[in-house]
Amino acid sequence: MSTHYDAVIIGGGHNGLTAAAYLAKAGRKVLVLERCHILGGAASSDELYPGFTYTLYSYVVSLLSPTVISDLQLHRHGLNLIPLNGSFTPMENGDCITFHEDDAKTYASIRRHSKLDAEAYFKFSEFMVDLARSMKPFLEVVPPDVVRPGWDGLRTMGFLGRHIRSFDKEKFHWVHKIMTMSAYDFLSEWFETDVLIAALAQVGIIGTMLGIKSPGTAYVMLHYYLGEVDGDTSEWATQVGGTGGVSAAIASSARNFGAEIRCNAPVTQVIIKNGEAVGVALENGDEISAKTVVSACDPNMTFRKLVEEKELPPDLVRAIDNFKFRGSSGKVNLSLDGLPDFPALKDKSILQGGMPEIAPSCDYLERAYDDAKYDDFSKRPFMGCIIPSTVDPTMAPEGKHSMSIFVQYASYNMPKHGNRDQQRAAFGKTVIDTLAEFAPNIKDLILHQQVITPWDIEQQIGICEGNISHGELTLDQLFFMRPTPGWAKYRTPIRGYYQCGSGTHPGGGITGTPAQLAVSEMFKDGV
Amino acid sequence: MSDRYDVVIIGGGHNGLTTAAYLAKAGRTVLVLEKKNSLGGAAVTEEFFPGFRASSIADESNTLSPKIVADLKLKSFGLHILPADPLVFAPQKEGRHLTIWHDVMRTSREIARFSQADARTYPVFIKEMGKMARVVSALNHMILPDMPDVGFMDLPEALKLFKPIRSLGWKNITQVMRNLPLPLADLIAEWFESDAVKAAITASALNHISLGPQESGTGYAFLQNFGHSNNGLFRAGGQIKGGTGALTAALADAAKHAGAHIQMNADVSQITMRNNCAAGVVLADGKTISADKVISAIDMRTTYLGLVDAGPLDGTVLKHIRNITYSGTMARVHYALDDLPVFKGLDGHSSQALRGHIQLAPTMTYLQKAFDPVKYGQFSEHPYLDIRIPTLNDPSMALGGKHVLSATVKYIPFHLREGNWETLHDALGQLVSRTISEWAPDFEQCVQHCHVITPLAMQNDYYLPEGSLTHGDITLDQSLWMRPIPGYTQYQSPLKGLYHCSAATHPGAGITGINGLNAARRILRGKK
Repeated sequence: MSTHYDAVIIGGGHNGLTAAAYLAKAGRKVLVLERCHILGGAASSDELYPGFTYTLYSYVVSLLSPTVISDLQLHRHGLNLIPLNGSFTPMENGDCITFHEDDAKTYASIRRHSKLDAEAYFKFSEFMVDLARSMKPFLEVVPPDVVRPGWDGLRTMGFLGRHIRSFDKEKFHWVHKIMTMSAYDFLSEWFETDVLIAALAQVGIIGTMLGIKSPGTAYVMLHYYLGEVDGDTSEWATQVGGTGGVSAAIASSARNFGAEIRCNAPVTQVIIKNGEAVGVALENGDEISAKTVVSACDPNMTFRKLVEEKELPPDLVRAIDNFKFRGSSGKVNLSLDGLPDFPALKDKSILQGGMPEIAPSCDYLERAYDDAKYDDFSKRPFMGCIIPSTVDPTMAPEGKHSMSIFVQYASYNMPKHGNRDQQRAAFGKTVIDTLAEFAPNIKDLILHQQVITPWDIEQQIGICEGNISHGELTLDQLFFMRPTPGWAKYRTPIRGYYQCGSGTHPGGGITGTPAQLAVSEMFKDGV
Repeated sequence: MSDRYDVVIIGGGHNGLTTAAYLAKAGRTVLVLEKKNSLGGAAVTEEFFPGFRASSIADESNTLSPKIVADLKLKSFGLHILPADPLVFAPQKEGRHLTIWHDVMRTSREIARFSQADARTYPVFIKEMGKMARVVSALNHMILPDMPDVGFMDLPEALKLFKPIRSLGWKNITQVMRNLPLPLADLIAEWFESDAVKAAITASALNHISLGPQESGTGYAFLQNFGHSNNGLFRAGGQIKGGTGALTAALADAAKHAGAHIQMNADVSQITMRNNCAAGVVLADGKTISADKVISAIDMRTTYLGLVDAGPLDGTVLKHIRNITYSGTMARVHYALDDLPVFKGLDGHSSQALRGHIQLAPTMTYLQKAFDPVKYGQFSEHPYLDIRIPTLNDPSMALGGKHVLSATVKYIPFHLREGNWETLHDALGQLVSRTISEWAPDFEQCVQHCHVITPLAMQNDYYLPEGSLTHGDITLDQSLWMRPIPGYTQYQSPLKGLYHCSAATHPGAGITGINGLNAARRILRGKK
């Protein structure tokens, strides 16, 4: 086995694999080191019980960059996305609001609540897609350093400046508003129906310890409008075999280009000589030398764990310590003996590949936030569920189902509930109890369950405080400030050491973009 | 009195008077119309009980722009600032307390009782905040560009930022940018570790913040507070002798001296238009007054949905105006006291510590929890109280050596989900008395009279819509070039001849006078 590489990548999550694929494609000799026994990081699947595949952490796909898909030929390597078949939000009074693939059905569903809103809804969707498109160029460039921009930065600023000038006045003001408002306030300018606002606003809290009424959540909402599936904007999908399948496709592409990938290979340290990264040390004592070391981990791991403090300027250390991770979401994954029944749902066809979302009112969501922000989980949490086995037979044995429940909010620390095991148990019980309010037969169907708190996410895949976006997507942590001003261009103060995780621009979600942009910067440096 | 003027100003609040004074000084004929029989809007001193006077609504440390004090020679018109030291007295649990003095080193020693690290940080914090405050202050004094349209006229304004940014250091500019959207709680946590210190500094900046300190964007409102303050020291402006009404009186005298006319009990019912241009006003009694320019020194909603014919306005503008969020989140309670209450942990009748702001909010969680219920139209059983005893510095506020205690109560919603302010009026007073008694057990024995001003009363008696002092929340989506509405930042309005100078405009709320000053500059500059 060769021990010298052009680049060694720490972390086999989807960004690490993407970086590996791009580097290998350009002819570099690349090694990916993953600490777990499976690849994918937060985008991984595992057959935890015979016949039942669990999509462990992130569970839906939309933001994956079309550039990455085509550059890495991911469809050839097994990327196979099944678009979601709408979603629905059962209410506490037994009513329901549904969003279908078929616009006429969606119209009819909203129309029952408000005629004005039914009409506004389609205008709003178009408006958001348009706004998202206008914002996209910002997410597709390497952020300029505003203090020392250099030629590259000036060029980017010029490009973005011209882009902004192309907005009409109204769009400029909408951009300002969406960057600064709460999802609730933003949506209240469009709609009057409480449950409709709740059903749309919940997107704005994903991955943040913020409520729908907290300023900043409108942007997070937009962030999730930026995606597309096979050319359909703002569409969401599941991957056949769970999100691990996305990572597997990228890994396959990377291997095809010649990259080497190793699991069960935890890295403990980046080896630095004379201020330059020269390789990595593994937990088992092995050392691997490389010209370039790339961390696909979160900023805390990248700067505070993998390298020693003395290698970094104090400003940067302080900035990373101030970086807000704040994991706020957990997962409950279930094996079910049958399909859960939501009595509020009249047209059951939407259960086939559609998402049940437990966000029955704005107050419900806001109270969920208020409960959790003082180191606790929500007494009645928000839940986004998928039952992939309804459309993907690989996920569960015939007649049985697997259900993946994204739950918010849960804090990283929840001392009120005892030790970590007790916290997990209490959290899992609350989730199932709350879900049973909306799907009463759920408890009788459960064969196996897996409960994941933010602390578990940190333990299992190493993300600091279990934040699924490697740090909150708040305005103070975006663009040239992600992870911190001056170090947003994927470089670090250590020569030959780069970052490419979701803690860099443009942030979280299964996008591949941070890695793609990071590699473009590495090439500029002659890697 | 003639009924034709160069400028008619609707509203005799401190900003209206400031604009009037500047325009009159520049030789314009000016008339200020005030609906009530007293001037000042939210900056008023009133006798709330025989022999006891208080600053009824706004009662922060003096934050009036020094430029205005000098330009209008307000000191010669009776403005007298009394020093108030300490700035903040923040009692803690178990009889401990944290006092913040004018003297930074003395405060530092005080903080050392809570945290050695914080004691070392404090002077650095004040220095750094001072630098940022100068940037924010320069920003406040700017007539901002109507983004995204930037023209040549905006260049001289932008140059104002040059000096303060240079003193901050260009590389630190990202720190300012980062602090704007940051939650105040996070901003403070980056500096300090002791909960007492964090809470004391955070609470000092909540006057105009309608959100809890954990919410994004409160960092901006916090920096604003520093921008109005004295080089990084908060609440250091001192106390206005005679209350905030005395400031109003000085401004009114300065305006009159410059030749402005001021008419009270003048209820404007309509702004008249001629050829799509504001041409004067009609009063409720039918009297018409014509003017070249009309300036609204009141809030946007009242102006556009009450005083003008909305016909010529385009839909987007009206939508922006309807969408301005106003969240009244405070109440005021004034007490006439026979004697000074004794705060736990203070020996005997030591009143020195009580001369500044007394902040009852021992922890960050306390502050945030004081906010949470507002979202559901309720108020906390443990509100944050920002108290002043003006009589300690200014005995003229009460007769016979007695005392006045005024409390700003946060957070109290204007919109109640259950009950109404008529029935909850007394309960609010009792809640405040109870809360003070927790910190000063003999408080209720000292009380002779309690006067409650609910958010509803702020709207009805002081014309503050939805009980909001700020004429539109100070949030990032309603600040800078988005204030008062996007596209009309430069004190002009969608209607020709109509201008704005109230707190609805940049830089927002507070008794700073800067809105009035900037509006006057804009009007004197442009021929538009």
